[in-house]
Amino acid sequence: MALDNEAAKAEIIKFCEEKSKSKSKFYFNDFTKLFPDEKARAVKKLLTELVQEEKMVFWSSGSTTMYGLAGAGKQAASEGEA
Amino acid sequence: MAFISSGYNPAKPMEGRISDIGPRHFGEYLPPVIKDNFGKWKYHEIIESGILMHVAESGAKTYTVRAGTARLMSVTHIREICDIADKYCGGYVRFTTRNNLEFQVETEEMAKELKTYLNDQKFPGGAHKYPVGGTGAGVTNIVHTQGWVHCHTPATDASGTVKSTMDVVFDDFQSMKLPAPVRISMACCLNMCGAVHCSDIAILGIHRKPPILDHKYLDNLCEIPLAVAACPTGAVRPSKIELDGETYKTVAVKQERCMFCGNCYTMCPSMPLADKDGDGIAIMVGGKISNRLTKPAFSKVVVPFIPNEPPRWPTMTKVIKKILDTYSADANKYERLGDWAARIGWERFFEKCELPFSEHLIDDFRDPAYYTWRQTTQFKW
Amino acid sequence: MAKHKTPMLDQLESGPWPSFVSDIKQEADSRAKNEKGLDYQIPVDCPDDLLGVLEMSYEDGETHWKHGGIVGVFGYGGGVIGRYCDQPEKFPGVAHFHTVRVAQPNGKWYNSQLLRSLCDIWELRGSGLTNMHGATGDIVFLGTTTPQLEEIFWELTHDLDIDLGGSGSNLRTPATCLGQSRCEYACYDTQELCYNLTQEYQDELHRPAFPYKFKFKFDGCPNGCVAAIARSDLSFIGTWKDEIKIDQEAVAAYVGGEIAPNAGAHADRDWGAFDIQKEVVDLCPSKCISYDGKLTIDNKECVRCMHCINTMPQALRVGDERGCTILCGAKAPILDGPQMGSLLVPFMEVNKDDDYQEIKDLIENIWDWWMEEGKNRERIGETMKRLGMSALIDAAGVPVDARQVQEPRHNPYIFWKAEDVKGGWDRDINEFRTRHQR
Repeated sequence: MALDNEAAKAEIIKFCEEKSKSKSKFYFNDFTKLFPDEKARAVKKLLTELVQEEKMVFWSSGSTTMYGLAGAGKQAASEGEA
Repeated sequence: MAFISSGYNPAKPMEGRISDIGPRHFGEYLPPVIKDNFGKWKYHEIIESGILMHVAESGAKTYTVRAGTARLMSVTHIREICDIADKYCGGYVRFTTRNNLEFQVETEEMAKELKTYLNDQKFPGGAHKYPVGGTGAGVTNIVHTQGWVHCHTPATDASGTVKSTMDVVFDDFQSMKLPAPVRISMACCLNMCGAVHCSDIAILGIHRKPPILDHKYLDNLCEIPLAVAACPTGAVRPSKIELDGETYKTVAVKQERCMFCGNCYTMCPSMPLADKDGDGIAIMVGGKISNRLTKPAFSKVVVPFIPNEPPRWPTMTKVIKKILDTYSADANKYERLGDWAARIGWERFFEKCELPFSEHLIDDFRDPAYYTWRQTTQFKW
Repeated sequence: MAKHKTPMLDQLESGPWPSFVSDIKQEADSRAKNEKGLDYQIPVDCPDDLLGVLEMSYEDGETHWKHGGIVGVFGYGGGVIGRYCDQPEKFPGVAHFHTVRVAQPNGKWYNSQLLRSLCDIWELRGSGLTNMHGATGDIVFLGTTTPQLEEIFWELTHDLDIDLGGSGSNLRTPATCLGQSRCEYACYDTQELCYNLTQEYQDELHRPAFPYKFKFKFDGCPNGCVAAIARSDLSFIGTWKDEIKIDQEAVAAYVGGEIAPNAGAHADRDWGAFDIQKEVVDLCPSKCISYDGKLTIDNKECVRCMHCINTMPQALRVGDERGCTILCGAKAPILDGPQMGSLLVPFMEVNKDDDYQEIKDLIENIWDWWMEEGKNRERIGETMKRLGMSALIDAAGVPVDARQVQEPRHNPYIFWKAEDVKGGWDRDINEFRTRHQR
């Protein structure tokens, strides 16, 4: 199945928004689960596009990196430099 | 201060952006003799402590002068290294995996002259800037982590414990009198950024108190699911608490399950675990990486806890020195510290190093523990 | 005049070993004087404040750093570690003090021009303090503010042609020994393979898609100077298949005491005259060496531990049929205990002519499996423990080999599959009952 890029990206954003009450940061494989038929590399390309479009951002603990919606999340705000 | 732009336009981050270019190719930085004889080296010899000679098939020779550094170094210090490289080595210099410097020169005379020069350079407080050594059967520089200088989960300082240790074993850095090389490593918490788990002697910072919970702020500062997921032993769960008549969303920690790793604090600043009395140092010994003679081996915990004693950690350095000296006097030529301990038996190791054996040193963590217990009637009195 | 009193740290200025305290003070002085008239882009006195906050930790025995979620520059998921001081009023110069990881040249060879250029960027836009190098191998710039991150990245990429290193759930900056550049033991060009794979996998290095961190390390021989077998998820360790080359005249010179054994590594202590029987023949782990005035090695029985070669480097040399052994899954103890790399491929050619295709195919097979099967925050060594070595061997597409184990399994609980067994698992109970009563 060829992935409809824009529809798939909208699905990613929707997924993050729906979960936003409990969490704002997601592991990469949270997104691969959304597209069980796709190769991980295809999903990664979508996420990279979303980052470049400034809709999503990376968050890192130093050892682990996660994805989140731009501007969302508690730590970003609390440090005073989102 | 006026902001100086590099040319980057924050309104259009992708404009003119260069990314994914990796490091520069190493070939640009090889001294001529290295480039000319790349892949054609025949043998090497350690002329004296800190000076190596490599001979190529072509007959070409290069001399390497090796010197220690503190790893944490300023641009002022690096520029001084550049001056030395320019003066003696055509501008080339190399760093080793274990934080030493290596200068290539053309002749043995130049190497000895440079060694004298490097050994003469001192900081105003008297410490060497570039002590020459770290070769052969001696102690080389310590690989280590950040500690209190710049890390959020350390149980001790790295630079201070390293400086204190290297001061005590300095003679063995500048000479080659030991039975085999001794590799000392330092990591400031059990996450071990500086993987010390295969070192002859490892200095390891450890915490011994579970995190404190800042209940009133926790839900504001942290995402509770992340703090829960961060715990490797599943000791953290979501919870609620009543404080001063108000209900707060927070977490609860099953304290007896805590392994004191600090991963929860990384995800959630409302769960600090640093504590003056709780934190300190464990000493591990007998690991190695090389496949020479025996297989690579893990380090074993031989001292479960030593309190932090800044600025010079005297109890810790005394233990390290005692282990090193006992090994040096007792081991066979070529025998690494762990191989010596295995040959004489660990019960004998504790006796000779005058270290107490306690229940903390018997492994009780999951499957690998069984393989460390004794399943034989062979032992020594 | 120092900004903060640091009586405890001052005690680390004496003693022979290089003093990081003296060096930080030196940088504090240099910035205060500012002889070049720089318009420092972060607080001038940050080295003073770093000493101040460190002194505070020496007094109270606790760290004063917090972690921050900043990962750095636009579009990258790693390369910068956010750091904040928890005493920003007392030490405003280090209130925001992030680490930048910069890709080092493989083998850590430099010229002074490159080092000076790096210093110029970091003096203006950061603290002027570094680690040369971090534990994984990167150049580490220690302490800058958020607005400077993009500026530093721009200057590194545009002016110096250098990228950031890795952090987080990415491929980490690969590291190598100095290899063939100055070592006669190197069985393949570790630096070139390291460089090639680093460039090939830039996307994996900068944009996270793995369950956790993943490290490559490249050792030219079994001596293991970059600790690949202990510290990398995938270790490439040089080896050879054919015979150790012997120069009998040089052997005689070692025996006769004309050449110091072990390349002179034991020179400062009197260990007595070199005894080839005791120091080489008897120590050989597979007992494949003999000496009767002439050195003989039964190469078929050799396990390539390097001892005889290390001991007599002028007489013995590694063979000519060279390649690498690949091991998978090393890691530090968190969580289930430390792991060494487990042997996956006993021998693989390191072939630059086809751009290392065989190695890349192997890597990608392994990654596909781990990305599919690995749990969040699970190193591949842990995935291997959970699912078994056989699962990895199968996913990697490499042949099963007795060399992959130390010894065979201790239990007979083999998970046979239907296709392993004649007739499969579908059986007819009625047919069974023709032979057996109920």
